[in-house]
Amino acid sequence: MKKIFIAEDDTTIRHELEALLRNAGYLTECLTDFEHASQVLKNSAADLFLLDINLPYINGEQLLKDLRSFSGKPVIMVTSRQNELDEVISMSYGADDYITKPYNPTILLLRISAVLKRSEGTPQEKTFMGLSVNPASGSISGNGKEVILTKNEMMIFRLLLDNEGRIVTRDEIMTVLWDNDEFINDNALTVNISRLRAKLSSLGLGDCIETRKKQGYILVSGAGT
Amino acid sequence: MKVSAFLKDKSGFFLLFCAEILLTVLFMTAYRSSTEQTVFIVTVISLCNTIRLVYEYMRKKSFYDKMAADCDRLDKKYLLCEMLEQPAFSEGRLFYDILYRTNKSMCENVSHYRRQAEDFREYIELWVHEVKLPVAALSLIAHNDTENGSRYSGQIKRVDSYIENVLYYARSENAEKDYMIKEISLKQAVREAVVRSREEIQLSGISVNTSGLEKNVLTDIKWLEFIITQLIDNSIKYRDKDRNPEININALQTQNGVTLCFRDNGIGVNSAECERVFEKSFTGSNGRNGANSTGMGLYIVKRLCDKLGHTVTLTSQQGEYTEVSITFKNSGILELMH
Repeated sequence: MKKIFIAEDDTTIRHELEALLRNAGYLTECLTDFEHASQVLKNSAADLFLLDINLPYINGEQLLKDLRSFSGKPVIMVTSRQNELDEVISMSYGADDYITKPYNPTILLLRISAVLKRSEGTPQEKTFMGLSVNPASGSISGNGKEVILTKNEMMIFRLLLDNEGRIVTRDEIMTVLWDNDEFINDNALTVNISRLRAKLSSLGLGDCIETRKKQGYILVSGAGT
Repeated sequence: MKVSAFLKDKSGFFLLFCAEILLTVLFMTAYRSSTEQTVFIVTVISLCNTIRLVYEYMRKKSFYDKMAADCDRLDKKYLLCEMLEQPAFSEGRLFYDILYRTNKSMCENVSHYRRQAEDFREYIELWVHEVKLPVAALSLIAHNDTENGSRYSGQIKRVDSYIENVLYYARSENAEKDYMIKEISLKQAVREAVVRSREEIQLSGISVNTSGLEKNVLTDIKWLEFIITQLIDNSIKYRDKDRNPEININALQTQNGVTLCFRDNGIGVNSAECERVFEKSFTGSNGRNGANSTGMGLYIVKRLCDKLGHTVTLTSQQGEYTEVSITFKNSGILELMH
């Protein structure tokens, strides 16, 4: 499990962020000793740092600069100002991404997983129960057959695959699709999912996408034939 | 300064002058001076007075004419005092001094209010950033509360959008330091705004179509996102429930630059009111018939566009469509520097 370091001075937000990240399957570590923030960061074994810009004793940008002097781990800056300057400064100090408060929690989770994935380096070809996924050609193949997925279906399948064994909410799927300029509605999502299921079952993987009522979808291996 | 007006002003002097001539003539006659002598004296007196009048007229005319001309030329009339030279005649100097003093006092008065407005604006900005913290906390709490959270999140979104309105209103009033113009992708700006309003759009059943947005424009991306969010809000508010509500966003390359067209098939705006939708606090008949309109959204949009040097227009047909077009000029930066 990945560990996320949270530097946020507002206690309520900090607790809620921890809850949000834990629900999403991350470990968390929080900064409480702001006076010796740099030292705490240095001793931390986190995989990703979530730094607020406005912190007591030390400014988030300064903290980022310190962090960069000894570590190249991914950093997402949280700005509370509707100001581009902060973002430009953050990026020039070596942040991997930034997000503006009040953020949409789903988008924050997406950004975190995107940054983590990016930092892992080149993505190896994903496989699922003998199926190989070829994002470049937009197809999945297995059992000697190959089916072409549409852009939406591919995005949905990869999202489910990246979160294999965890429920992915419709909300998350929607956010990913919309974030890629596919502004589809609720019905279209249902249609996309059922098409994806049909295509998977034509490859002999009938029930690998399960619907969890009122929660979302989950990709499970072991089902199917 | 007209001669007739000047002479009319001097009517008292003419009366005295006539009395003077009359007395002189009487006096000369009483002392039995010759006619030549009388004529000579009267001529000398008349000549001296005429020269004096002409001299006075010329001096005043040059001062007042210059002042009137300067006043006409100035677009900020209150700067007149800075243009005036101190006149040579005492009456003018007195006038100049008083004008100077009233002007100075007015400047102080204005700067007092300007400071007050500036302080207030700064406080609003600070307040907005402070209030965003609890809003951020609330939205996280709502998200973590899988049972009841969704009931709150819609309201939290509304609070957040009203807060944004206040922030951008304050900024549009005085925005010298808040924006950063650079080349940005229209596609990205539209995406950010649409994703941010995703839940509201989905709840209202609106479908969003975009095309031709692969263009770059010179603007401030935050401001543009705010503007697009406002337009989306309006489309949601004034959608026509009897049709399949739609928003079409596309961009056209024109001679003057790039035009972003934002069109919905909502209830539309009464043609008589199209002109007035950008006015402050104008709610119109749509506002009265239901939707909670504040008359601020499009006003702020217009102000922001003006500051950024974009032109914004609205065309509509009631019951058919509403289309808002924003034109980003090619020479956006040059335009702003002037």
